[in-house]
Amino acid sequence: MRQSRISLSITVILTIIALIYLYPLFLIVINSLKTFAEITINAVALPESPQFSNYVETFKLMKYPNLFLNTLIATGIGVAGVVLVSSMAGYKLSRTRTRYSWVMFIILIAPMMIPFHSFMIALVKVAKVLHLTGSPWGLGVMYWGLGSPLALFLYHGFVKSIPRDLDDCAMIDGASPMRAFFQVILPLLQPVTVSVIVINAMWMWNDFLLPLLLLSGSKKALTLQLAAYNFFGQYKVEWHYAMAGVLLTIIPAVMIFLALQRHIIKGMIAGAVKT
Amino acid sequence: MKKIALICCIALIAIPVSLFAQGSAEKAPETTLQLLFYSPELQDQYTDMVDAYKAETGVNLEITVLQTDFRAVLTSKINSGDIPDIFMSSAYADNSTYKDYVYDLTDEPFMQNIEPSVLTGVTVDGRVIGYPFLVQSHSFIYNKALFRELGLDTPETISELEATARKLEAAGVQPFATGFKEFWVLPQTAWQILAPYVDTYGGFEAFVNGLNNDTLDFADVAEMEYVFDVLDIIGEYGGPKPNESDFTDQTASLAVGKVGIIHQGNWAEGSILSVNPDVELGFLVGPTAGDAEGGIMFDSNQTIRVAKDGENLQAALDWLEWLTTSEYGKNWVPGKIKQSSPIKGAAAPDSQIAQATSELLAQGVPGYPWFYQMFPTGTEQQLGAIFQGYCANVTDRAETIKALDAAYDKIAGAL
Amino acid sequence: MNLHQKRQRTSFLIFLSFTVPALATILLSVEIPFLMSVIYSFTKWNGLDKIPQFIGLANYIEIFTNDPDALYALGFTLRMAAFTVVFTNIFALALAVFLDSDIRGKNALRVAFYIPNIISLIVIGYVWRFIFTKGFDSFYEMTGLGVFMFSWLGDKDLAFFSLVLVRVWQQLGFYLVIYIAGLQTVPKDLIEAATIDGASPVIRFFRVTLPMIMPSITVAVFYSLSNGLKVFDVILSLTSGGPGNATMSIALDIYRTAFITGRFGYGTAKSVVLFFVILVLTVFQVKVFKQREVEV
Repeated sequence: MRQSRISLSITVILTIIALIYLYPLFLIVINSLKTFAEITINAVALPESPQFSNYVETFKLMKYPNLFLNTLIATGIGVAGVVLVSSMAGYKLSRTRTRYSWVMFIILIAPMMIPFHSFMIALVKVAKVLHLTGSPWGLGVMYWGLGSPLALFLYHGFVKSIPRDLDDCAMIDGASPMRAFFQVILPLLQPVTVSVIVINAMWMWNDFLLPLLLLSGSKKALTLQLAAYNFFGQYKVEWHYAMAGVLLTIIPAVMIFLALQRHIIKGMIAGAVKT
Repeated sequence: MKKIALICCIALIAIPVSLFAQGSAEKAPETTLQLLFYSPELQDQYTDMVDAYKAETGVNLEITVLQTDFRAVLTSKINSGDIPDIFMSSAYADNSTYKDYVYDLTDEPFMQNIEPSVLTGVTVDGRVIGYPFLVQSHSFIYNKALFRELGLDTPETISELEATARKLEAAGVQPFATGFKEFWVLPQTAWQILAPYVDTYGGFEAFVNGLNNDTLDFADVAEMEYVFDVLDIIGEYGGPKPNESDFTDQTASLAVGKVGIIHQGNWAEGSILSVNPDVELGFLVGPTAGDAEGGIMFDSNQTIRVAKDGENLQAALDWLEWLTTSEYGKNWVPGKIKQSSPIKGAAAPDSQIAQATSELLAQGVPGYPWFYQMFPTGTEQQLGAIFQGYCANVTDRAETIKALDAAYDKIAGAL
Repeated sequence: MNLHQKRQRTSFLIFLSFTVPALATILLSVEIPFLMSVIYSFTKWNGLDKIPQFIGLANYIEIFTNDPDALYALGFTLRMAAFTVVFTNIFALALAVFLDSDIRGKNALRVAFYIPNIISLIVIGYVWRFIFTKGFDSFYEMTGLGVFMFSWLGDKDLAFFSLVLVRVWQQLGFYLVIYIAGLQTVPKDLIEAATIDGASPVIRFFRVTLPMIMPSITVAVFYSLSNGLKVFDVILSLTSGGPGNATMSIALDIYRTAFITGRFGYGTAKSVVLFFVILVLTVFQVKVFKQREVEV
């Protein structure tokens, strides 16, 4: 009885903290429903009459469906590629205990130390040579190498927990190593695959600088982040549209997260434990 | 899991195919020009112009409008060989920055229609390598009705400015909104205060040349003190958080009558009127000390450049010609953007600040060029940050001067 | 070729078929561009001229002998990284202890604390800029508390703490999850044994739980440290490095040097230095923390 009362009071205290914690996001919501003049007068008051037209206007201004699709394409291509190349390499490197395997491992995870800003101009140059600028598809492809080092590192650690016998069993059945990997091993890596998908999808969905460098100049290919960013121009910030734009940008990510949160947090926990 | 693998495979196959498909789609017969512009506050006017051009000629214009990252994006695009057909830049120092990439417009017949006086900033060795887009003015904008109500005269000297500020404050009105948070607001104001004294140093060109080859330092310019005096006044009478005020705060505060004066250019008018369309705006001259005559900044800086090696060079030139000679084009800057056009015989814009600017110039008030755009590319933001440090009490006057000289010499020496 | 060699060759080919795709993508997206940048760091180049001019080590010499701003940015970045790493990890671990225990609604609470982490840093920065300026003004009018009239973004010392606050707020959820994961590896019987021995909850935490989750702490500190040293977006959108250059991080200084002042060669030299700073600090950190793991 005493135990449950303590537990209940902890819940109450943490809930209050969580509400304060999320208050900034609540402010975005209420201000996205005000007129510009209302925001200027009082930024924390509730809107007098909710201006849903802000959303309609922003939706049109941003060309939302188009941007949504672009962002989805870049994120989808990026995540799929990262999962594919890093799970394969992470698995093989974890299983191969030779000098060249170690060298390869170091080469592949070294980029975790390299700040993006130190090579971004040259990156654009490479992307241009490969004809990967100006389209969300190309952006997705450029993400493969950027996301793989961390993902590979996670897979590499996790594979150790999977008995080697399994590889051999699959091979004895006559499957090629590649097939054995996709049919037997990859499904076992699911927990870490979930973390890799979550970490990379969140990052690619929210990424700003690379899309800015690779996509701006071709209007058809803009992503949601770029469009939201355009509302915060250096000259005039139209706060009411900007707030609506911010919400339209983050709502898909938050909804997906809320819908899948059980799997995501569980997967992340399972993935993090083993590394 | 099998499904995931399958999806990955499909994606991997789909990419090259789609890339190829996109590549062939680009070869469609109609021309599309790529433009990279700044000034997002003109987004609506840009769009309007794009629609008009499409309707008249069938040519598509794709304008990307950036602000903060404009230079980064332009640099990386040029660097990777993906140069926009048309892009914007500043005048003066940017002439040499982009010299390898821009088309020489000197012999284009439509350039005859541009006021020769605004071509100074884009002329190098007698060749015109940019198209001046707007003529803009900068000084101190004030709320006319408020001044009338309080019976205030328009200040012309630094001490009068301070007296006016004191009176505004006594009347319960915050005198200034500072805009100190924006890196570009501080230099604009600072260099305007300095402009009347540059003649002492042989004029604008000699002044900048002296700074560039290090025969002159800001430490030698005694009148820098006036700059600091004015910044001090603005900061002191600029509300409780002067270092957090941005452009939006400046324009909105002036519009609703919360503040009396902001130091801004004519481009602020649209933003002010969008908050309160009835506000009455006037233009003060830059405050001076001693006998010097205060003036305003009045020059063309925003410049349109044409990429010389682009596939669409002719189409880009056709667009500029249309912008200069067609009915819509001639009316675009004065009628839609409501700023002064550099085209000969263009209509006067329906704008309070533009009108105030012409009145002041007609009275013989000097209009100074954007001489700080002659400083090496990249100094504007760097020096702006140093002035910001002064306003936030990070550095005192002597340290600020030292920092200005060090930053300037470094950039001038490196380029 | 004997059978052994043949088998070795086959296994090497299989090895390659698994690893080359990753190698190719990483080379293309990171390592080749980075090597190109290293080459640029020995040049004087504005990023636009067609031919960079080779100047040897001059850029590196300038960083350490004639660039107080860069050294200031280095100091600022280290300070800021230290504060964010410490606060993030302490708060995340403390919260994790509660959210791993048997309390009602823990799932919903985990989700709540994770949400800011799903939003892009650039947007977070703008949202907080709005709160610090417009929001605080309104709070002041309502409450009259002087703390809302402090210039949280315009004063150089307060701006530092504002940045740390926003950064910790945004990333807390991620580290929370790492620590919850760590706590779940602690065997229940070990805790029970300690409880039977009469250890108080506090002693249990420091003597049993903490040593057991050292691996998670190593990972969390490693992530937060390397991200802290690379801090960029949130500063760009919250203070743009101001007032003056008071909140300029190394990454922002690199960006400014290369793109704003147009000294691309010099900027890349700074980025190479940043690379080594991160490398040395994170390797040192992992080494120290790993040793503690071994001791346990």
